[in-house]
Amino acid sequence: MSSQPSASFDAIVVGGGHNGLVAGAYLAKAGLRTLVLEKRATLGGTLETRPLADGKCAPGLFHTVGRLRPSVARELGLRGHGLKLVAPEVRAFAPQPDGRAVTLWADAARTADELRAWSRADGAAWVEFDRHVRALAAFIASLNDATPPATSGGSVGDAITGLLLGRAFKKLSKDDARQLLRILPMAIADFVAESFESDPVRAAIAMRAVAFTALGSWSMGTTAALLADSAGNDGGAAGQTVYAMGGPGALADALAAAARGFGAEIRTGAEVLGVTTADGRVTGVTLASGEEIAAPIVASGLDPKRTLLGLLPPLELGPNLRWRAGNIRQPGRVARVNLGLSTLPVFPAAGEPEEASRRLRGRILVGATGIDDMERAFDASKYGRVSEALLLEATIPTLVDPSLAPDGGHVMSVIAQYVPYRLADGTWDADAREALGDRVVARLESVAPGISALVTAREVLTPVDLEAEYGLTGGHPYHQEPSLDAWFAWRPLVGHARYRMPVAGLYLVGPGAHPGGGVTGAPAQNAVKEILADRKRR
Amino acid sequence: MAQRYDAVIIGGGHNGLTTAAYLAKAGWKTLVLEKRRILGGATTSDEIVPGYTFSVLSYVVSLLRPEIIRDLELAKHGLEILPLDGTFTPLHGDYLWRRDDHAATMREIRRWSATDADAYEEYGQLMADMARFIKPILGMVPPDPTSIDPRDWLGVLGLGRDFARLPERQQAAFLGLMTMSAADFLDQWFETEPLKATMSASGIIGTFLGVRSPGTAYVLLHHYMGEIDGAFRAWGFQKGGTGAISYAIASAARALGVEIRTEAGVSRVTLTPSGDRATGVVLESGEEIAANVVVSSADVRRTFLQFLEPGILPEDFEAQVRRFKFRGSSGKVNLALDALPTFTTNPGGTEYLRGAVSISPSLEHMERAYDDAKYGRFSRRPYVDIVFPSLVDPSVAPPGKHVMSCFVQYAPYNLAEGALDWDNQKEAFGNVVIDLVSEFAPNLKDVIVEKHVVSPLDMERDWGLTEGNIFHGELSLEQLFFSRPIPGWARYRTPIRDYWMCGSSTHPGGGIMGANGRLAALQLLKARKTKVA
Repeated sequence: MSSQPSASFDAIVVGGGHNGLVAGAYLAKAGLRTLVLEKRATLGGTLETRPLADGKCAPGLFHTVGRLRPSVARELGLRGHGLKLVAPEVRAFAPQPDGRAVTLWADAARTADELRAWSRADGAAWVEFDRHVRALAAFIASLNDATPPATSGGSVGDAITGLLLGRAFKKLSKDDARQLLRILPMAIADFVAESFESDPVRAAIAMRAVAFTALGSWSMGTTAALLADSAGNDGGAAGQTVYAMGGPGALADALAAAARGFGAEIRTGAEVLGVTTADGRVTGVTLASGEEIAAPIVASGLDPKRTLLGLLPPLELGPNLRWRAGNIRQPGRVARVNLGLSTLPVFPAAGEPEEASRRLRGRILVGATGIDDMERAFDASKYGRVSEALLLEATIPTLVDPSLAPDGGHVMSVIAQYVPYRLADGTWDADAREALGDRVVARLESVAPGISALVTAREVLTPVDLEAEYGLTGGHPYHQEPSLDAWFAWRPLVGHARYRMPVAGLYLVGPGAHPGGGVTGAPAQNAVKEILADRKRR
Repeated sequence: MAQRYDAVIIGGGHNGLTTAAYLAKAGWKTLVLEKRRILGGATTSDEIVPGYTFSVLSYVVSLLRPEIIRDLELAKHGLEILPLDGTFTPLHGDYLWRRDDHAATMREIRRWSATDADAYEEYGQLMADMARFIKPILGMVPPDPTSIDPRDWLGVLGLGRDFARLPERQQAAFLGLMTMSAADFLDQWFETEPLKATMSASGIIGTFLGVRSPGTAYVLLHHYMGEIDGAFRAWGFQKGGTGAISYAIASAARALGVEIRTEAGVSRVTLTPSGDRATGVVLESGEEIAANVVVSSADVRRTFLQFLEPGILPEDFEAQVRRFKFRGSSGKVNLALDALPTFTTNPGGTEYLRGAVSISPSLEHMERAYDDAKYGRFSRRPYVDIVFPSLVDPSVAPPGKHVMSCFVQYAPYNLAEGALDWDNQKEAFGNVVIDLVSEFAPNLKDVIVEKHVVSPLDMERDWGLTEGNIFHGELSLEQLFFSRPIPGWARYRTPIRDYWMCGSSTHPGGGIMGANGRLAALQLLKARKTKVA
């Protein structure tokens, strides 16, 4: 039994994750009566600060926010809503089994200096490599800003896009331009090998290229993933490391405050069951409570498979699109482990305590010992197994933000790469989850001996948990694999890369849309431009 | 110096011979220099065991360009392709047999999965459509991406326009083919493991990639490209062995006036004193030959690093040549047999051996074979593609006897540190292949008369294939089209005037196509403003 529509809005945003909030804020800012509906009790989705059992707080899925689009932060006035970002001078620290380490700094000259300890040639190569990555990433960034062109027909708008892209392409030097087309599809293993000879240096750079993907360091397309990660941040080849004070949830809070400030209404605990349609147009949404809310525009922050197959009435899709949507690849390969620690663990490779506390402020890369070592960790996951030698990206946010551990001590947040969503033997039950936690701690022990004795609280989220907790189909943090088959004008699907879903009035604003995943707000910002353009046209 | 040629071609493989024939057809005085005693390069046959003729390296043909067959009248010169009928995938206790009889194939797939049988028809249609769309690329000269000359872009723009007109479903399929792994692409359609595994195999042949590596789906198309020429079947054998294809092109070339010399290895290309222009070649014998144009059909590393003195090329260009990826990944095991082997589970008769026999039981089998190679050792359980040409063409073996050709992947040229070199593990490699096939055909060992193993190192030493790469360089997306062999140098020219390329390192890559040789010749004639006859 359904009740009468309770209220009417100009636009409804499904999902109060960070892209949903960005969309809600921009729509409200443009004067639309906007409602954001979030199923969970808290806002922000994966952008969350979670309590640990020992009273400390830890990040939900993403632990750094350096790729947040500066224009989003500026236009939504996030600083005024309490957002404070801190970027330590160190970007990544990769301890090695022999007690040495590769450290990448924000300052390219400093990185180059330190890399000389690995190889003179590598030290010499860094500055040019960093420049090259920045030049190519700047081109990708201009792609990311644009709504992809339509692949069928062709319109004036597309011609303009083409022109803009052409201009960005022209900004590249002739050599960079020629190289771009060669480099984009490359495996990261080959790309780093063209500049560096030390395996640990190659691996430390390559980690970012495979993060959150089901790709190995030898997989084609991983260089594009690295450039996408470098696009729109200041990190160049070292990558970004930026913390939101108060944890990632503080960014979600600022986004929600901004949205409300522009007049958007936000409801939590409001699960959307489906989108209602009439005559091929969106008419509103139905909630799990049975409530129906009318609106001519629905912007979905859910993943594309959930949006197309879960929200829409099946008849609206047709068999062809159903088949294609069903084949959207979402192979989650990432697990999360958060640790409450009584004191700062000792990483011998980071040097004396004072020096260590400086070097450990960035991303700590465990397992970045060599390209083939990385590939072996990947191999196991292809067959549904968890490697003994997982790749870890850890942060200790309490080094820059002690507020996360009010009673002292530290928090370590670990993203474990190459943990398959589907296990070949067994399922992700409590035993498997704890075994994974043990494996991650043991892996940390290899570079920070004694760390296990410091653990005061531990939370493990497997890919299946990430799916249940955050509604990520397949457990994929990017809503869809960021490989070349789901890129730019064909992300999430050919014919639907311009944020418009197959029913008029339905839009995709989450990372399943161009330019993809991570804490950027970019897909939502791009999508709202299209929503407003369509609205003007009507 | 005895005489001066308009063009000297280095290398008498199928591409070198094709270039020569086209140049001669336009009236150029042309000489082909082949280092080996027999012509054909990797497109070759040899009677290695008395009475048995092996297609030593490449063993089937599908993509030989129909315009070349027509222009050079190859049928008159002995080209005769016999059909290769279907693919048999033996399994433990069962098999999957697809053949040219469509109804039979559908029945067979339906035996495995009704969904797959339905999907198979649709898939075949879609792939045929895709092949028709993509084929013009094979006849196109890639523009320099930074070029602003609209004429350079006509072909690509036309393709872009055609793409915009494709139905969405075909656009999606095309983009998937260009970017996905063969396994992911096939996973969209099928559920039957041996079917997916066997189909995926065509995506990895000759590459250092696995069936789960992005970029391998593209090659799936090649199976459908040959098919739609009408004149041709998807895959076939040349009568008398693969070498007869080269001999047909050579015969056509000679008829057009081309001079061909074998056992005439080139040691270097001669240049003007300023070093910016080619003037001819010096043979290993010391003999000098003058020419207005030198065209190399050797791979890009040999073309630039072996035939030229160091320091001649721009530094940046040379660096790019050095990083061009070869990474040979395959080997051959050629067997002379007393009789045909019998596969334990078979459909009866010998009909099923007239096509390919593919050892590809599952995607995991395929992928694990690749895992071994990634870390520098040959696959402990490889993928093997077997043919028995003597069943279709009895002329290649003594009466009642047979030749068995096993293409094996993976056999990485670059072996792990500490491993035995190829000369010392070739024997073990051959045995692994024979043992694996024997699991499915237990009497194999009893019928072997002689075995001949070709390692990637042999391919490099004996055929000049750098690092044993059968395609003159990896056919991965970053080494195709605009970027093959070097970004900005995809138009058969080199930084040295009058020194050109026409081998498989150039667009559109390897395989017995001849397209490279033809396109290079046409570009050269155009540059020299010679009318094409």
